Order: sequence, then C-alpha cells, then structure tokens
Amino acid sequence: MLPFLFRKVLNSFLVLLGVVGIVFVLFFVLLPADPARLTMGQRSDAKSLENIRKELYLDKPVYLQFLFYLNDLSPLAIHGNTKEDIEKYDYTKLFSISNQNNVVLKAPYLRRSYQSKKEVSSMLLDAFPGTFILAGLAIFFATVFGILFGIIAALKKGTWVDTSVIFTSVLGISAPSFFAGILIAYVFGFLLRNYTGLSIVSPMWDYDPFQGRHLILKSLILPVFTLSIRPLAIIVQITRSAMLDVLSQDYIRTAYAKGLSKKAVVWKHALRNALNPVITSVSGWFAELLAGSFFIEYIFGWKGIGKITVDALNKFDFPVVMGSVLFTAFIFIVMNILVDVMYGIVDPRIKK
Amino acid sequence: MDPKQMHNCIQKYKSLLFIWIVLHTLCACSSFHNDKKIFRLNQVQGVESLDPAFAKNLNIMWHVHTLYNRLIEYDENRQVRPSLAMSWELSADRKTYTFHLRSDVYFHDNDAFPNGKGRRMIAKDVVYSFARILDEKTASPGAWIFHDRVDTIAPFIAIDDSTFQLNMLRPFNPMLGILSMQYASIVPQEVVEKWGKDFRAHPCGTGAFMFQDWEEGVVITYRKNEHYWEKDSAGNSLPYIDGIKATFIDSKATEFLLFMQGDLDFMNGIDVSFKDQVLTKNGTLKPDFQGKIALQKHAYLNVEYLGILQIDSLNPQKTLLQKKIRQAINYGFDRKKLVTYLRNNIGVAANAGFIPIGLPGFDSSLVKGYTFQPEKARQLIDEVKKEFGQIPTITLLSNDNYSDRCNFIASQLNALGLPIQVEIMQPSLLREQMSLSKASFFWGTWIADYPDAESYLTMFYGKNTAPPNYTRFKNETYDRLYEQCLEEADEQKKIALYQQMDRIIIEEAPCVPLFYDEVMHFLNKRVRNFKTNSLNMIELKSVQLK
Repeated sequence: MLPFLFRKVLNSFLVLLGVVGIVFVLFFVLLPADPARLTMGQRSDAKSLENIRKELYLDKPVYLQFLFYLNDLSPLAIHGNTKEDIEKYDYTKLFSISNQNNVVLKAPYLRRSYQSKKEVSSMLLDAFPGTFILAGLAIFFATVFGILFGIIAALKKGTWVDTSVIFTSVLGISAPSFFAGILIAYVFGFLLRNYTGLSIVSPMWDYDPFQGRHLILKSLILPVFTLSIRPLAIIVQITRSAMLDVLSQDYIRTAYAKGLSKKAVVWKHALRNALNPVITSVSGWFAELLAGSFFIEYIFGWKGIGKITVDALNKFDFPVVMGSVLFTAFIFIVMNILVDVMYGIVDPRIKK
Repeated sequence: MDPKQMHNCIQKYKSLLFIWIVLHTLCACSSFHNDKKIFRLNQVQGVESLDPAFAKNLNIMWHVHTLYNRLIEYDENRQVRPSLAMSWELSADRKTYTFHLRSDVYFHDNDAFPNGKGRRMIAKDVVYSFARILDEKTASPGAWIFHDRVDTIAPFIAIDDSTFQLNMLRPFNPMLGILSMQYASIVPQEVVEKWGKDFRAHPCGTGAFMFQDWEEGVVITYRKNEHYWEKDSAGNSLPYIDGIKATFIDSKATEFLLFMQGDLDFMNGIDVSFKDQVLTKNGTLKPDFQGKIALQKHAYLNVEYLGILQIDSLNPQKTLLQKKIRQAINYGFDRKKLVTYLRNNIGVAANAGFIPIGLPGFDSSLVKGYTFQPEKARQLIDEVKKEFGQIPTITLLSNDNYSDRCNFIASQLNALGLPIQVEIMQPSLLREQMSLSKASFFWGTWIADYPDAESYLTMFYGKNTAPPNYTRFKNETYDRLYEQCLEEADEQKKIALYQQMDRIIIEEAPCVPLFYDEVMHFLNKRVRNFKTNSLNMIELKSVQLK
C-alpha cells in the first residue's frame, strides 16, 4: 500500500506542476489582457499604472514571473530576510545562501488577489466551508436516496415502480442545474414563500448590525435539493443496472439456495458487489461539486468556490484563478487516492 | 389513549415525527427580530475593498463615503460645501490652498488607538492620507489625482492641528473637485499601519456609520456612529437610522423579487427583464406599482457614447478616420427613439455636446450637437463613397449588456448605406482593448469623477493617453484651451472655454454621444427623506425609516 501511495503522491505533484504551467501560459502568453489595467478605475495615468505593475510583478519578463510564482508556491523556497518577506511568507529558515537570501520552509503562498488585495488562501478558506457543506449534504442525500431507489427499481424490474423511477431519473438528468435552480427558487422561495417559509436567496449566515452572525439552517434546503438532483438521478441508474447485473449471477442463486433471507442476499451479497461503479460515480460527483457549483451558488446567493472562480475569471484576477484551479486539482487528486483506497475495502480482490 | 397505544402510535409515525421536529427547528432559526431601524440594500457588483486608496468604482466609493469624510464635499446642487474643513482660502498666486479643519471630529473606536477610543482627527492625518495615495508602495489606482499637480518637495503641510496647507505646482482649478473624491478620504495612520494591506477589511474613518461585519461576497453591516459630528438644521445629531445592511446578490432579477417582497429598502436601476413590467414608456411607475413603491429620478453625470480611435497608424478601419463618416454616424440614428424604446425614457437624448445636462457648461443653445438627419447622413456617406469607393463593413465593439443600443444604431446606419456590424466582447476585455488603443470603434460610458465639466473634457486632451483619452483625440486648439481653462480664475470665462472645447468635440466628432443618463432609484414605502444626487452616491446620513 505504501509504495502505491508514494507513487500516487509523486504523480499528483507532477499533475499540479502541469496545471500551474498551463494556467500561467494561458494567462500571460496566450491572453492579450493586462491585469494591471483592470485594477484601475475609469481614469488613471501612466505613473499609477507603473506603480501597480511593479506591485504585481508585471514589470518583469514572463519567465521570471513564472519562476517567482513557483518560488512563492513551493514549500521549499528561497526568500529574502527582510521584515516584509518574513511577514509575507511566514517561513521557517533552514540556512542562508547569501547576506540577503535564505532557503526556507513555508506553506505554499498563493499571493493576493489583484482586485481586492485579499490573500488568495484566505479567500479560498472562506469560501470552502460553504462549498463543502453544500456538496457534502447534496452528495449524501443523492447517495442514500439514489442507492435506495436503484435497489427498489432493480428488485421490482419491469413493474410500474421500476418504470416510474427510471422516468423520474431521466427527467432529473435532463434538467440542467441553472434551469432547475431558477425554477425551484422561484416556486418555493417566491410563489409559495408564505407556505414554505423559504427565501429565493439562501446564504448560510445572516447578519445583523446589532445581533451579529446567525446561522440559517433552512437556507440549505433548496440549494442542497437542487444540487443533488442530477447526481441522484445518475446514481439511481447506475445502482439499478449494477444490481441487475449482480442479481443474475450464480452466487446469488447459491445464496438463496443455502436458505438466506432475501434481505441478507440483497444487502450483504448483492449490494456490496454492485457498489464499485456507484463509488466511482459518487466520488467523481463529489469532487466535481467540491470544485464549486457556480450556477447554484449564483442563483441562491451562496458563497462558494465556484462563484469566486467565475468572478476572478471575469476580471482576469490571475492569483485567484490560479489558486482555485490548484485547489480544485488538489481536491480531485485527494478524491482519487481516497477512491483507490476505498475500492480495496469494498472489493478485497482489488487489494492485490 | 393508553400508554401502549400511544407507544405504538409513536413507533408507527416515528420518522414523520422526526421530520416535523427537524423542519420546526430549521424554521425556528429564521431572521432577526429587533426594533432597530436598519436600511437594507443590495449591490449586484459587490465590493473588493473598503480602503479609500482603492475606491476606484461606484460600489467601493459608496462604502467609503459611508465610512469616511473628505475635507470638502458636493451637495445635491453640485455646490462645494465644507465637510472636515470648515473653510479654506486660495493664495494670491492661486497655487496654495489653506484649509481650516474642524476640531470636533473623532475617528471611530479602534484597537489601534490608546484604550481603543477613537482619537481626534488633526491636520497630520490629512497629510498622511494624501501622502499615502501618492506613495508608490500603496500602488493606489487613484495616485493620478495628485501626480503632476501637487508640489514635488512639500505638497502637504500640517501648519498646526487644525490648519492644513496644500501646495500645487501651478494653478489648477479642478483641485477642489479632486479633493471631494473618495480617494481623498482621511484615514488614521495607526490603524492603516496596524493592518497593512488588510486595512481593506478593517476600515476606520470619521464617517456617519461604523464598520461592523463583512462576509465578503455576501453582506456588509454598519452601525450608526453615535459620536458623528454633523447635525441637521434643527441641531439633531445625524444619522437618524441605526444601521445599514448591504447584501451582494449578483442577480439583478433576484434583487427585484426581494425588493418587491419588501426585503430591501432600496434598488438602484432595474433588471432589463422587469423593466417593461414596472415602467411605462415615459419612465414613470405603472399604476400597479404606484403607492407600493417610490421612484426617484435625477440627472446623472454619466454619458454613454461611441468612441472612434483617432490615430492613423493604430486604427485599421481607415474609413472612420474620415470626418464625414464620423459626422454621418452622428446624424444617422435617432437618439430620441433609442432613449424612448430601449431605455423607457430614462435619460435624455444627447443632442448637445459631450458635457452632460446638470453640469455648468452644458448649454444646448450654445453647443449644438447632432440630431437625427438621415438625408444629411446619406449625403455625407455618398460623398465619401464617391471619393474612396465602396465602404468596407465597420465593426463596432460592445459588451453584452449594451449590445441593444449598438444593434439599434447599426441597423439605422445600415439602412442609410453605411455597413456596420456589432461585435460583442467580454466587458474587461473591451476595456483592455480600449486602454491599449486597439479598439477602433467602441461603446463606452463616462461617469464624472467630480461635478466639473473638466472631468469630461480631459477625455480629449491630446497629452493624455488612454485612459482617459480612449479616442486618442489630439487637436492643438483644444489642447491650448484645455490648459487655459485649468488656470482661468474667472468662472464665466472658464465656462465659455468649456463650451468652446465642447464645440470642437462636436465638429471633429471623435465620439458619438448617445444620451445623458439619469439615476433611477426605487424606494420602499418606509423610506423618508432620501435624496438622490447627480453622482449616484447613496447618501444615508439624513434618511429616515418609518
């Protein structure tokens, strides 16, 4: 297991490096945009622009900018020993290589947003809990009900129950989230507001100048439900077909023959073997939802990674885009490793 | 019911009971209940910073305006009035301003001050605040306000605690206008230095409201500054309301629905898809909405225009370099129709100069602009055709939000034989192209930085690059007049110079003014005494809530 994990981590590191390279080239070589200009108001002059370019390192040649960025990102890096650098990078010194420079250990520094000057890491950390709660609950809801309905449909194959489950799930798959989101927000948050008590916008926290912050749990209902529709529909389909496949195997007949109850056969013998494709799908969806679900965040006014990324793209805010892309790539990598480990647990044959 | 039956019943409906309890708990944590008067509004664009040095757009400016004060400000009638400075005088050589500051102004309480109590604002704070804007380490996008205008050796001097002196390189009329901009807000050194770059989220000013909470991208809340120095005419302390809650929901349609539900007190402008539902073609509220909400309109110092790049070597669309074609574009479409049908009569067709209604210098009788004259346009187009042959299709760049006007103009001009196609660009890319002088024909908008026509005329001053001179217009007479007006001591003469310049812009036609904008504010019934102004600044100091 350990060499396997080591190989995986090494691979992931290369993937991340590739991601940094591609995003950097996209931004600074292929795109004709000058981010410094986009941080200015409608009126400005050459000198203000020059100051801004200097502050954002945009006055340096592209290859140097890339090296500086990698140096900022790398946990093992070379940084100056001025007070400013120490504050900025918050590093642990390993040894000095000259009067001014040290080789240091630090947490990756994602820089500050061009637009807001806020640290990208704290922007991501601010947005992540929202995304995580939303994605986690949606995927939980989708998995539990998806597997349940999938099993029911498989067991009742060919009956009206099966047909209606399939019909509903096809409907769910074909409803794009921005359409379903607007519809659900309008119907339950606006038209039926007096009955549901819900609002068209559902931020997780409400603020009052005098009473401070206040958690609104009911805000979760509409976004979580909307977000779970598509994964739910797909999980139903996958569970159903995997179950049908497994239920026709010989060992299921054997299990019945040795006198096991239907409950034991279905839940213990059939389901466990049918779960592999479901896990792949659930983990893929979860990783995707964690990368942000822009439309849902936009429609319900929910603060999350998706909204931050799209905003940053619109304003060519390179550090934020890079930060969120790296963050997303990191999530996918972690999820992949987790899934590999989980396969081993669910299906011992894979361990080898 | 005996206990056993009861137990069975509970067992049977256990799950339903559970769901009911969960839902009940969820609904119990609903919104706040208190009797404080909180003004609620939404801003679609969001804010990136609360630091005055970065007050580069209207949204940030409004928050800075709420938290901070400047030395002077403009009232609703565009007259300069005292704010932190009680009075001021200009030296005989017109190069030095001396400001006499109020002595009863205190900063908001902050941990950076001894005992956390806000200290008195003094002249040194003004010196620090202005020098900070100029400091290249701040990298403020507003540094231009002082560049090449204030003295390079001793620009800002604190003579004593309540006297501040500003030294300029040469006489510069718009200086008071510049000092009224949010960039020139007064900040306390201790707090700025304590937070460094994160001062953006830990503001401390002297304004009518104090910062409370900010969940970025979601909401900002403010509390009333109990020790605010300004009083109303009856001697009562301002502000009247207890606090402000500004949310940042990005969808204008959602904002409208919330406003109609009574969850917002104020809405700036209206979503295009609801426009015709709420407004008549004359720009008034439809009967269904009268009495339910209020609408306030006011001339807004904002001009929408089409710009035409004037540099030969940079403009690939050579036809546009012909003055006749530029004039033909100006004559060839109906601005009144555009305003009536695409804007529900919000705004006034720009039939005078580039200086908008509401500014001294605007005079439609002295500066005659372009009106819809299709015959004249056709004649000009034909003359160019005769001289240069067929006209290749001209591309007009616009962003998605404003493509309707551009398409309207293009179709009217196409009918006159001038082929124009509209190309849609992402807003930031369009601005980028304009700044790099790569956009040869583009849609643009210009909001006055301060209520002085100079703020518009600077857009065509030959020594300015883009921005603000996006068209890269260069005209010797114009440049001479512009330099003259910056130093002209006589107000009447200055205005005459403004009009002379405006006439040159109209004659040379480096731009096509479309309309002079109007502010459109929708208010909840409970809002009283809300005053709309020409810079579209939301002023909540004197607002009352029923």
